[in-house]
Amino acid sequence: MRKWNIRRRGRRRGMMNNTKRGFILFIALAVACSLILAGSPAIAKTKVVKIGNILPLSGPSASVGLQGKYARELATEMINNAGGIKSLGGAKLQNVYVDSKSDPTVGVTSAERLINNDRVNILSGCWNSAVTYPATQVAERYRVPFIVPVSVRNTITERGFKYTFRIAAKDAWWARDQFEFLKDMEKKTGEPLKTVAFVYENGDWGVGMAEQWKPLSEKYGYKIVLNEPYPSTASDLTPVVLKIKRANPDILLLTSNASDAILLTNTMAEMGVKPKAVIGTGGGHADPMFSKNCGKNAEYMFDVVEWEADLNKPGIPELNAEFKKRHGFGLAGESVDAFASVFVIADALERAGSTDPAKVREALANTHLKSGPGMIVSYDAVEFDESGQNINAGIVMVQFRMVDGKLERVSVWPENAARAGFKAVFPMPKE
Amino acid sequence: MDFIIQAIVSGTLMGSIYGLAALGLTLIFGVIKVINFAHGSCLMVGMYTAYWVVKLTGVNPYFALIVVVPLLFVFGYFLEDLLINPVLKAQGDVREPTEIIVVTSGVWYILDNITLMMFGAEYRVVQTAISGKSFELGQIIVSTPKLYGFIATIIVSLALVWFLKSTKIGKSIRAASLDREAASLMGINQYRMYNIAFGIGTAIMGVVGCVLIPFYYVFPTVGVIFDVKCFIIVVLGGLGSIPGALIGGVIVGLIESIGAQFMTSTWTELIVYAVFLTVLFVMPSGLFGEKRDW
Repeated sequence: MRKWNIRRRGRRRGMMNNTKRGFILFIALAVACSLILAGSPAIAKTKVVKIGNILPLSGPSASVGLQGKYARELATEMINNAGGIKSLGGAKLQNVYVDSKSDPTVGVTSAERLINNDRVNILSGCWNSAVTYPATQVAERYRVPFIVPVSVRNTITERGFKYTFRIAAKDAWWARDQFEFLKDMEKKTGEPLKTVAFVYENGDWGVGMAEQWKPLSEKYGYKIVLNEPYPSTASDLTPVVLKIKRANPDILLLTSNASDAILLTNTMAEMGVKPKAVIGTGGGHADPMFSKNCGKNAEYMFDVVEWEADLNKPGIPELNAEFKKRHGFGLAGESVDAFASVFVIADALERAGSTDPAKVREALANTHLKSGPGMIVSYDAVEFDESGQNINAGIVMVQFRMVDGKLERVSVWPENAARAGFKAVFPMPKE
Repeated sequence: MDFIIQAIVSGTLMGSIYGLAALGLTLIFGVIKVINFAHGSCLMVGMYTAYWVVKLTGVNPYFALIVVVPLLFVFGYFLEDLLINPVLKAQGDVREPTEIIVVTSGVWYILDNITLMMFGAEYRVVQTAISGKSFELGQIIVSTPKLYGFIATIIVSLALVWFLKSTKIGKSIRAASLDREAASLMGINQYRMYNIAFGIGTAIMGVVGCVLIPFYYVFPTVGVIFDVKCFIIVVLGGLGSIPGALIGGVIVGLIESIGAQFMTSTWTELIVYAVFLTVLFVMPSGLFGEKRDW
């Protein structure tokens, strides 16, 4: 309350100091506006739907924040050029961006400001889970719909919120989809899989993944024959590889950073360790250094990722080229989810036929977005469950394959999104 | 039982390479009585030199030794001459000048960061003729590059012992290490001996670099990974002792390799430190250290 008073006082004092200039400006603006209004009656009726975006535009996460911003701009432009929101009389989407600096406190005040001062109709953001978590809380309190394109922390959609909608897959789903993939391969190839080994770096991330793998293995009926953390800075991983060899698992699940992923893969090749399936969890395996330094040794290994540019979906090559032309780099998981989110918003507004937050929320909750330029994601439809989580969100399984003598990441699963002409090679060939 | 034999074989091979890396450190300490904190960085320089020689010329990494070792010797010789000798001279009558620790730590940071600036933080692996090669002895798989590393360790240690025992310079180095003043009185230029000892210490890092690059990656802070191990090995085996460094290296390699077969590999470090402390407790000067006050 007090904060609000200060702001009011500040503004009033400012006006008094500049009364005269303000008055002239006001007249000028009024004249200009009336001229424009008189000249083009069509625009006068056009409403604007404001989307408030909280993104890390400076600091360590700035590059992903910018990717999200560029993707939103491109999507907004496409929607507006195609006639805006038709059920709202061709209303245009307008983005308002606020820099969160990856700071949760800034995220909260930004959300408050966007709702109270900028009067945005919908909020979106914030990339960092730590910022999204409290910012969605603000939106819930004011009953403003909040679209979360990318923030993977499980709990964001596990608080019973009505106004939070997440497009990206939850953290826990990465592990889930690794097992889904294995079951699917087992079914399709008839190759029996019985035992699984976990080998992971002994940090937060690796240990966290292993904790998720454990109950999943039991659920999917795989016997855990090895559960081995190792230090990421190891000078020699032969002992670990020797253990894998002894355990002789059908499936090897890995969570590695870049250097250890390289060492592990090369040592495994040297010791002739070839399980039926080797699956990485992004991170080190997604590092370009990995493909470059392992070469043929990494062939037929799998890795999980949220999105890959070679997905077999209409529109991706053109869109990727356009994005690259504008910004000098291609689309990635972050930008694709942000891009799709604007189309989800447009779709909901179209069906709501109103900017009333309650109606937009209802429309969002009933989203069944299956087609359109926004659907370049790896799955088939955007649909939200009770908690506001996109139930179809999933990940892509890529396989390292030699393409024209070079190791490439090739999307192979889900099969309807696989790179044209490619199918998962499963199990890993022995020679 | 196969896996135990396999663990012993790979542990011994890797341990011998640790021992080789520790050899340079123990030599420098034995002669100059200073702890070279830039040891890991010298190893890093050795690895980068080996990497670039192999990468640019495409020669077998063991042929690259002919270029890398002299380069590293010159590098160490002048590094010592420019940075360490001035401190030694200024602290003439101090037996173990602690300022050297500060100087060598500075060298460590400067070398690591210059490399970072020049080559970036990326991991580099060079594909050589013997990368990833291995052969089978019954059920046991022996990694070819590591076996060559083992052989290199033996050759380098024997050569070093011969050099110190039989050549005039070697004898002078030992004299300077035993008693600086007496050696000076005998007409030995002790500072020159320090130059040479340091040069040999870093030249050995050149050997380690050539041995490592067929199976290990290079990056600016790679030295840190081996640094801590080298210190443990050197103290375990006895500061200044050549067989101590080799045996210490093999002990650490074996603990890592065999230990990991019975527990998670993150725990083997605990065993290494436990053995280290026990040895120090029972034999304060290490396994092969001379029982005297340095």
